[in-house]
Amino acid sequence: MKRIALFVLLVAALTLAACAPAAPAATEVPAAEAPAVEAPAATEAPAEEPAGEPEACAAEFGCAVIAKDQTVKVGYSGPMTGDYSQFGVDMSSAMKLAVADFGDVQGFKVEMAIEDDGGGAEGGAAVANKLVSDPTFVAMAGHAFSGATAAAMPIYEQAGVPMMSPSATNPDLTTKGSAVFNRNAFTDTEQGKGAAKYLFETLGVKKLAFMHDGTDYGQGLAKVVEETFVGLGGESVAFEAVTPGESDYSAPLAAVAAKKPEALYFGGYNAEAAVIVNQMAQAGLTGVTFFGGDGIYGKDFLSKVGDNGEGVYAATLVPPGTDSIVKFNAAYLAAYGTEAGVLSAYTWNSYDAVGALIQAINSVAIVQGDTLYIPRGALVEAVRMMKDYQGIAGVITCQETGECNASGPVFYIIKDGNWVAAE
Amino acid sequence: MNKPTSPSAPGKLRLDQYLRPSAGILAGLFLLWRLYTALIVEQQFGADTWVRFALSGLILGGMYALIAIGYTLVYGIMFMINFAHGEVMMLGAFGGFFTFEVLRFIPAPTPAIPDLNFLDAHPIFSIILAFAVGISVSATAGYFLEKIAYRPLRKAPRLILLITAIGASIFLQNLAMLLFGPQRKNVVNPELLDRGAGWTVMVSGSPVLISYTGIFSLILSAVLMIALYILVQRTKLGRAMRAVASDKNTASLMGVDVDSVISKTFIISGALAGAAGVMWGIHMGLVNHYTGFLPGIKAFTAAVMGGIGNIPGAMLGGMLLGVIEAIGPAALGIDFQLKDVIAFSILVLVLIVRPSGILGEKLSEEKL
Repeated sequence: MKRIALFVLLVAALTLAACAPAAPAATEVPAAEAPAVEAPAATEAPAEEPAGEPEACAAEFGCAVIAKDQTVKVGYSGPMTGDYSQFGVDMSSAMKLAVADFGDVQGFKVEMAIEDDGGGAEGGAAVANKLVSDPTFVAMAGHAFSGATAAAMPIYEQAGVPMMSPSATNPDLTTKGSAVFNRNAFTDTEQGKGAAKYLFETLGVKKLAFMHDGTDYGQGLAKVVEETFVGLGGESVAFEAVTPGESDYSAPLAAVAAKKPEALYFGGYNAEAAVIVNQMAQAGLTGVTFFGGDGIYGKDFLSKVGDNGEGVYAATLVPPGTDSIVKFNAAYLAAYGTEAGVLSAYTWNSYDAVGALIQAINSVAIVQGDTLYIPRGALVEAVRMMKDYQGIAGVITCQETGECNASGPVFYIIKDGNWVAAE
Repeated sequence: MNKPTSPSAPGKLRLDQYLRPSAGILAGLFLLWRLYTALIVEQQFGADTWVRFALSGLILGGMYALIAIGYTLVYGIMFMINFAHGEVMMLGAFGGFFTFEVLRFIPAPTPAIPDLNFLDAHPIFSIILAFAVGISVSATAGYFLEKIAYRPLRKAPRLILLITAIGASIFLQNLAMLLFGPQRKNVVNPELLDRGAGWTVMVSGSPVLISYTGIFSLILSAVLMIALYILVQRTKLGRAMRAVASDKNTASLMGVDVDSVISKTFIISGALAGAAGVMWGIHMGLVNHYTGFLPGIKAFTAAVMGGIGNIPGAMLGGMLLGVIEAIGPAALGIDFQLKDVIAFSILVLVLIVRPSGILGEKLSEEKL
């Protein structure tokens, strides 16, 4: 009997571990570990390769040296398998298109190095270590999730690899004083404030309930919205956490329904949001507006909720229907047979991130003989100084903190089974 | 059978005798006090909300119970925990999902509605077919699982069987991911079983929706459980299963074909899991390769709580676990994310007070 009891405890522990958000959870890396710049210039390039190294390579971090038959590597890392795989698959697909469009650095080809980090911190650090060991790897268009990004940042910092994440939205990431981390995603803070204002002022909601998935992203977003909403004079009637990855949230929804909210704000991703939207009517939340973040926008969500999705709001940063977006969407459809935006909201951002990084690489790269030299230190600076890069999803202009998104969130609503821009 | 397991000092035995019940009573009193404050003093939720909690718990509990029976049947006969059982259920869920998908593509036009499909034209037949397919898929999976993964190891130490079961579970999960892709798939029901539809009942002035899918799942799981109970208690196969469970060697001496009984046990437990899987898809609406994992572990917990090896125990444990998960967090006034903590705390509590589970028999040496 003892054996069974022991076994039960083991299983209990396993389940709890499994219930914990495997993918987007993030253990913050202590800031103290981050900078640690120990003159890597001394150990690297210039002294050992006397013949024809450009002067710029004497600077910190040295140069990435690309021989004639090699390619310039730009990295991407996100969840390529598992519950959140649609993000990784979608973003890397868009990036490959960007490489096809812009992938030329003074005659040298650019190649994407795509890795699977599962979205979590352990995976993030492992991928970063793997990538920086490749001498032709110069820039990182990622990571996709905030948790993985936080763990990977210090590693790129030491190697002098600039980052441009299309989707890591956790506000803390740019407050750590990192020189290499930049993002063209809008922050959760900005999005949350915008959502709260929109709910209170445009939709006239006075009693708002909150649900979140307990992740850095979801809970953080819900907190920002709640603070702003209460600050504006609204009332927060419930703040419930749910366990990610489950198929039944009817009990927490019933608890929320008992508080009679006018709208429900959900901080989290589309897998859980779809379950909630599908069960709202059963739980007695008929006629209550569901409002989500950028994590639920995308056509994949539409197929999971069907008719139940009518009137659901989400945030994203894509301005509707400009010429360049229409052109990109056609190219995406032709290349992958799926429409852009079906899988995630970060498609266009991903394309822009790689485009911007390649432009920065082009601005610092030096050709000598038949070898390409990319000074790493200068590249880090060039990305941080980026100004008025015109992408398809908006303008990229980096501030000193690494916030590069110059446009704000846009709100979308589901009407007749499709996402349309909300007024 | 009932001899003490080890000769221990009489004093120590006594202490144990008093400690267990008193720990149980203390914890029980604490739970009652929390319930009292939540229900009577704080009154955070109205009666309608409690009815919603209970409904959602009973529906979930019915599915847990069906899966839990599979664990208990197999444990009763082989004394092993079939950890791949949740995955068997997942395969059944996919069976139901694909049946619906295929039927939707078959046109069945009527003069009134020219673009009607087979699924909506013959919903009852479609649902029966979905269950038939789901149950056959899972039963087949259960049969081959035993034949390929467990039978060659029949004489091996039980730990090895357990590891094999975990391996089989991972294998089946990844196989489903490779075959069907990692994303969750939306199970589109025939209109008859629309997830938002149901009867509306007024409870203390508020409407409470009793969804058709929920009631359907609850009734079907009850029917299946009764059928299984009759099968085990009243048929020849049932008698053979009970004989093998109590003593394999003697049963084989009495002319019972042990191998065939074990195979049939896996088929029956697979069939029940398959039914639970199809129900899961119909009621919850989303399936993927991971669908079976958590329900599988929860059902195992339910089986242990009810007394593993005991069929009514598995049913009781399943229903109890479902209801505890739904009502517990609200009753104790804590976060819904902690529902598993409550469920497992109650499990530990049950095991402290009654080590063999709520309805568990006193196990013989061999089964331990």
